[in-house]
Amino acid sequence: MSATPNHTANKRIGIVRIFQRFTVGQRWEHLLALLSITVLLLTGLPQKYRLATWSHNLLSTPERLQFVQQVHRIAAIVLTLEVIYHLANAFYLLARRNLPGDMLPTLKDLKDAWQMVKYLTFFSNKKPLFGKYNFEQKFTYWFMFIAIGIMVVTGFIIWFPEFFNRLLPGGIIPAAKLAHSTEAIVIGIFVFIWHVYHVHIERLNLSIFTGWLNENDMHTYHELEYQHLTGESSETSDQGESQ
Amino acid sequence: MANHNWTRSMATILILVVWTFLAGLLFATPVQAGETTDYCLGCHGNPDLQMTLPSGETLPLYISAEALDVSVHNQVGIECNACHTEIQTYPHPDLEYQNKRELARALYQSCQKCHSDNYDKALDSMHTQVAQAGNLDAPICTDCHGAHDVQDPDQPRAHVSTICGQCHTAIFAEYRQSVHGGELIELSNPDVPVCTDCHGVHNIQDPRTEQFRVHSPDLCARCHADPELMAKYNLPSNVYELYELSWHGVDVSVYKARWPTIWHNSAVCTDCHGIHNIRKTEDPDSLVNERNLLQTCQKCHPNAGPNWTGAWTGHHEVSLQRTPFIFYTQAFYASFAPFVLGVSLIYVILQIIRSTVERARRGLR
Repeated sequence: MSATPNHTANKRIGIVRIFQRFTVGQRWEHLLALLSITVLLLTGLPQKYRLATWSHNLLSTPERLQFVQQVHRIAAIVLTLEVIYHLANAFYLLARRNLPGDMLPTLKDLKDAWQMVKYLTFFSNKKPLFGKYNFEQKFTYWFMFIAIGIMVVTGFIIWFPEFFNRLLPGGIIPAAKLAHSTEAIVIGIFVFIWHVYHVHIERLNLSIFTGWLNENDMHTYHELEYQHLTGESSETSDQGESQ
Repeated sequence: MANHNWTRSMATILILVVWTFLAGLLFATPVQAGETTDYCLGCHGNPDLQMTLPSGETLPLYISAEALDVSVHNQVGIECNACHTEIQTYPHPDLEYQNKRELARALYQSCQKCHSDNYDKALDSMHTQVAQAGNLDAPICTDCHGAHDVQDPDQPRAHVSTICGQCHTAIFAEYRQSVHGGELIELSNPDVPVCTDCHGVHNIQDPRTEQFRVHSPDLCARCHADPELMAKYNLPSNVYELYELSWHGVDVSVYKARWPTIWHNSAVCTDCHGIHNIRKTEDPDSLVNERNLLQTCQKCHPNAGPNWTGAWTGHHEVSLQRTPFIFYTQAFYASFAPFVLGVSLIYVILQIIRSTVERARRGLR
């Protein structure tokens, strides 16, 4: 733990500054999304692979199938409400000129990605410096944003095909079923290789649950945001991980 | 001398016995066989011979020699008393049957003497169940095969369906109009199904049960998944395969594998194409012709609107012309999604390598 320079207590007590990273609302949103997506995946997969033996064993009676479908739909409603809240909140903040733009993709993200690729392929020893959200995190957000959008829209189309069929061409329905069924797997794989690596394996990043990030991590991973918040510069920032 | 005489008379007797035996072998059986039928026809060849049963019904006792001649039994020498076992000679024992049906139901028991396998199968049939429930008009062997004029039932093949049509008149009329029935009755096409091809022969089951319904697509697949047969008629042979991948088909597969005794509502072939009234898709009267398709869908999807039939891929492979939306969705998930996931995976692998190297360096420092 790196202590702040102006601490006065004895050496065995360090005072660590922590930085708020997520609001309570954002933390709840993530938790709801995490839980509902897990339930949706667990109840969706046996339906996707209905011809497989393991699925037969889970959905061993028509009642169980119905039950799993009901749970899937309840979780779908929870996730949909979360999506609506997320969008409504964004519009509300936008209307009040208060929407933080940290998550919006910028040209810097492309440059960062290029620099990061050079770093990872040993063509450079410099890691790019990141703001509040690095391009990996933005990629996670926008990937999930689009993927959940696809899942919600296609999910409701195949839930109420007769209704949507009055508004849309017929071919949309089987296409929605195919998209829903395939996108689910894409999400599963993406979260598993990308998100799980970045928040569990690369480092354990629990800030989305706790809401804060300590000074050390701010230095290491979000130097520009650190400078922005404190007006200070960190001498180790250009070395990235190496502390 | 006496000894010599005795030997000679013994030889004579022996020769006589052998001759009698040989003569018997040569003549006795055929002569006696012909005799039995002739003996019976002596009276039963009279067209006016008849009697009145206690029920008041008239029982004709005339057996036409011409009918007997075409009978497969008569041709192989099986005679009257093979079936009419209770009658040995004249006068006959009294008939104890109240009416003609009772008589027929009693006499057809003789069939099992030789045809026990088919007789037993018939005992498991829907027809026997109906009889046990009290409907004595339910068919017995002789109702379909005839009694004195039993012939190959499928010569010609259309004969099979005609026999069923004797009782199932409405269904037979419908079947005649269908693509299968029309080809059979009018053109004697050997490829189309007759009634028994789908319903079975002797152990005909109730076609309204859950089991029959869930297995019914397999019946259609016996011909419609046969590439050789379908090529002959320029029909695709992958319809069953594609059906099994469809929403309906997956549901039906699960029920078939797991819950064959539970009723399910997912469409099987006959729900859309019809049962006995199946017509060519291009026939304007076909239930799946584009003129009638929406109505057919609405049987199960009552709120389906006019766009609904566009949602139906119609047992066709995904193609740009026919199903552009699925085509593009499939193309997207076959290209872009694997690309993004692949790039993500490579990126994470590079990260793992770089951070491992970094840690190793730090350890060496």
